[in-house]
Amino acid sequence: MTRRQRLVVVTVFVACAAAAVAGLSALGSASAGPLSSALGWLGAMTGSIEHRVRDRVAGPGRRARLAWAAPYRDRIDGLRRPDVMLLGAYDGEIPRMLDGVVALEERLDAPLPIIQAYTAWGDRADQQFPLQLVTAIEGLGSIPLVTWEPWLIDFESGRHPELPLRDARDRHGLAAIARGDYDFYIDTWARSAARFEKPLLVRFGHEMNDPYRYPWGPQNNTKEEYIAAWRHVVTRFRQAGATNVLWVWSPHVAYEYWDLYYPGDDYVDWVATGVLNFGPIAQWSQWWSFADIIGTKYPTLAKFGKPIMIAEFGSLAVGGDRAAWYADAIRSLPRDYPAIRALLFFHARDDQTVTYQKVDWTVVGDSAVSDTIRAALRSTGFACPGAARCR
Amino acid sequence: MRDRVLIAALAGIGIAAVLRLADWWFRPVHVGQPVLYVLLSLAFWYAVSRIVLGWVNYAGVAKPPVRAVANDMRVAIFTTSTPGEPIAMFERTLAACRRVRHPHTTYLLDDTRDPRFRELAERHGAVCLELLDVPGAKAGKINRALALTDEPFVLVLDPDHVPFPEFFDQVLGHFTDERVGFVQVSQAYYNQRRSFTAAGAAEQTYAFYGPGQMGLFGHGACVAIGANCTFRRSALVSIGGHGIGLAEDLVTAIRLHAEGWRSVYVPVVVSRGLVPEDLGSFYRQQLKWARGVYEVAFTELARLAGRLTWRQRLSYLTIGTYYLFGVTTPLFLIIPYLFLWTGVQPARMSFAEFLTVSAPVAIVGAAIYLVMQRWLCDPGSERGLHWRGMMLKIACWPVFLAGTVLAVLHAEIPYIPTAKEAVRGRFLRLAWPQLVLIGLYVVTITRVFVMRTRGTSEGSLELSAEAVWGMIAFATLPVIASFGTLFAAWQARRLPAAAPWETIDVDTIGGDA
Repeated sequence: MTRRQRLVVVTVFVACAAAAVAGLSALGSASAGPLSSALGWLGAMTGSIEHRVRDRVAGPGRRARLAWAAPYRDRIDGLRRPDVMLLGAYDGEIPRMLDGVVALEERLDAPLPIIQAYTAWGDRADQQFPLQLVTAIEGLGSIPLVTWEPWLIDFESGRHPELPLRDARDRHGLAAIARGDYDFYIDTWARSAARFEKPLLVRFGHEMNDPYRYPWGPQNNTKEEYIAAWRHVVTRFRQAGATNVLWVWSPHVAYEYWDLYYPGDDYVDWVATGVLNFGPIAQWSQWWSFADIIGTKYPTLAKFGKPIMIAEFGSLAVGGDRAAWYADAIRSLPRDYPAIRALLFFHARDDQTVTYQKVDWTVVGDSAVSDTIRAALRSTGFACPGAARCR
Repeated sequence: MRDRVLIAALAGIGIAAVLRLADWWFRPVHVGQPVLYVLLSLAFWYAVSRIVLGWVNYAGVAKPPVRAVANDMRVAIFTTSTPGEPIAMFERTLAACRRVRHPHTTYLLDDTRDPRFRELAERHGAVCLELLDVPGAKAGKINRALALTDEPFVLVLDPDHVPFPEFFDQVLGHFTDERVGFVQVSQAYYNQRRSFTAAGAAEQTYAFYGPGQMGLFGHGACVAIGANCTFRRSALVSIGGHGIGLAEDLVTAIRLHAEGWRSVYVPVVVSRGLVPEDLGSFYRQQLKWARGVYEVAFTELARLAGRLTWRQRLSYLTIGTYYLFGVTTPLFLIIPYLFLWTGVQPARMSFAEFLTVSAPVAIVGAAIYLVMQRWLCDPGSERGLHWRGMMLKIACWPVFLAGTVLAVLHAEIPYIPTAKEAVRGRFLRLAWPQLVLIGLYVVTITRVFVMRTRGTSEGSLELSAEAVWGMIAFATLPVIASFGTLFAAWQARRLPAAAPWETIDVDTIGGDA
């Protein structure tokens, strides 16, 4: 062989080997590996195929009933600027099953096209991109919304020697994200999200302005760091081809200066906040109406010119008239809050994230409340966005 | 040497993978139904420990050097005949014994009360010893014959085994080492192509007579196997004669090791015998072995452990607990059905995660299995997946379970000679466990399909798919395996056209050593 032939052989061999390594690593992720990624995909596909077989055998299911939502579920532009109110829910049984959402939907006699799930950053299997869950949500005819929480301490030090030790990670953690220290995780998640292909709402780092709740709050980070981290994450997703992801920016409007955390029109698709009435059970709380919580903030929220989402909507029972709370809130939406385009019931039975005691947000078991909500959803027309059922 | 380094390296990787699997397995979040979780863990880790023990054994793999035979070594061949055994088979065996090159005397230990056997023995230059009403079956007759003879070396040859002329050239030289008590050679068969059962039963022995026994030899614990083991008379005398019982060969071996005798395994094929041809005979043989082998663990090892090396102890413990497989297999079989019918889960593990963490162990196991195939006695004909052997092993769990229960209860099964002729077995009597399994499988799949198209709520359908279909995959493997056994039972319905020994030509059998 001549020198030139040898060089060609060596180059081709190195290129093939590099492609094989790159292919294997792209298949998997730093934490999950190609085998578990492939098996996760196989599991999601199995569920998807079985669901289609069932539709053939037993007749069309919920997806067919939600056919009116196809322009928002299947088309990214439809979901970016919806012309109807999209209802939705998070249910405490998620991610195990979606039955709770369906039960709530039947009780309220109103379709819930958005289903919300919460997932944290980290190394564990349940902290990777929830492919099976979003596939199941999509298969059921809904739009998945993933609230994506950057818990930096869930990365094991042993597996990530380049990261600071856990105790030191939260301090200016958002700056580290913006610097690219967590790109190994972000990029993997982004590639998986891109492979999902269908529109997907991601609510990243919510309540970033609350200094008492999450480590990504202002007790550890500056506004500038937050905005830089957000823009970095969005940019990494775009570079990974995850153009099917819409970004939901979600401050806690009870704390001042929340609007200063806005990352910019080019990086945000939806503006969201939570409206949860804890009533008098917590020291810091009292019975507040929907308008008490959001009324004065709404003009600022609307100012951004994006569709507004109430990502966590609910009231506890103690301290006031719960049915009236819901009815007043829902009936006020078309009149006072026309930019609100999504309303997501927070429907957890054993929630103790804020109060250190279990509180019950569910309404399916409370027929007085759920009947009132049903009537309110009908009178506002939210219950029949396809105009098929409300008479 | 090169292979031993390779095996040690692979086993090191494998053990790391096993540790990682253990770290993952034993997590509180994985506990489902607690009692079933404990049972499943015991069964699963028994299976993993068998794999690891196999690696430990293979790491010792060794072959003995060739040793020259002195012409003045006097040796006897003992073979036994009992009522019901076909005389035509002895025709071949005794003719072949006469052709074995080293000077020797062949003794036929006979209790048939049939004058044709004496006539046959004398025609082939063998001595017929009529040993009537001797307790202890075959081993009893051997001990009686030891008292009537005086050759310093004795080959115990099963009557279905046809020795090659070079048999003693391979064996006797090892006795020049005064510490060697017995020399075992490989076992091979001439009828393994005659049925699925015969092929599967033969496949099950390849690894044992190849790297298995060579590993035991390397650990100083290669064992005697009923047919064609050559003993030093003084060694047998030192332990009060040949052991008696269903596992007489293993019992003899462990007693000799405890007495300080060494054993040599010569991995050459210098005789060929019969392997069970029909499923019924195979089950009977396996029951005999399963019941017998526990005596090694319960009686002999308990009594003699103090006089064995730790490597011998580990080897005999490995052998003595082999048939616990009969207890763990039904547990593995029942778990998917339990889940699919009742939703009860012994362990809350993601199926995908389980496959991910167990795959390295499986891959290393397969790699070691393949590397060790270089150590088979006849790699050319014995290499392969041995899938028939695996299918029969899975099918044998009721037999192993019966053997285990009998052993724990200290109950006896009567001495059953391994059938020398294929006997007609009724299909249903042999195949019902497989038919029950397949029936249960079909009913379960039908129910799952109906439930999941009509019953299961739509909101939990896709998110439960991985668990349900993973369990179905888990249930499918033994069903696939059961088809091989069904075929074996089907073959057992009719007798073969000719007796297997009619295919043997004693003039040409064997190679030139």
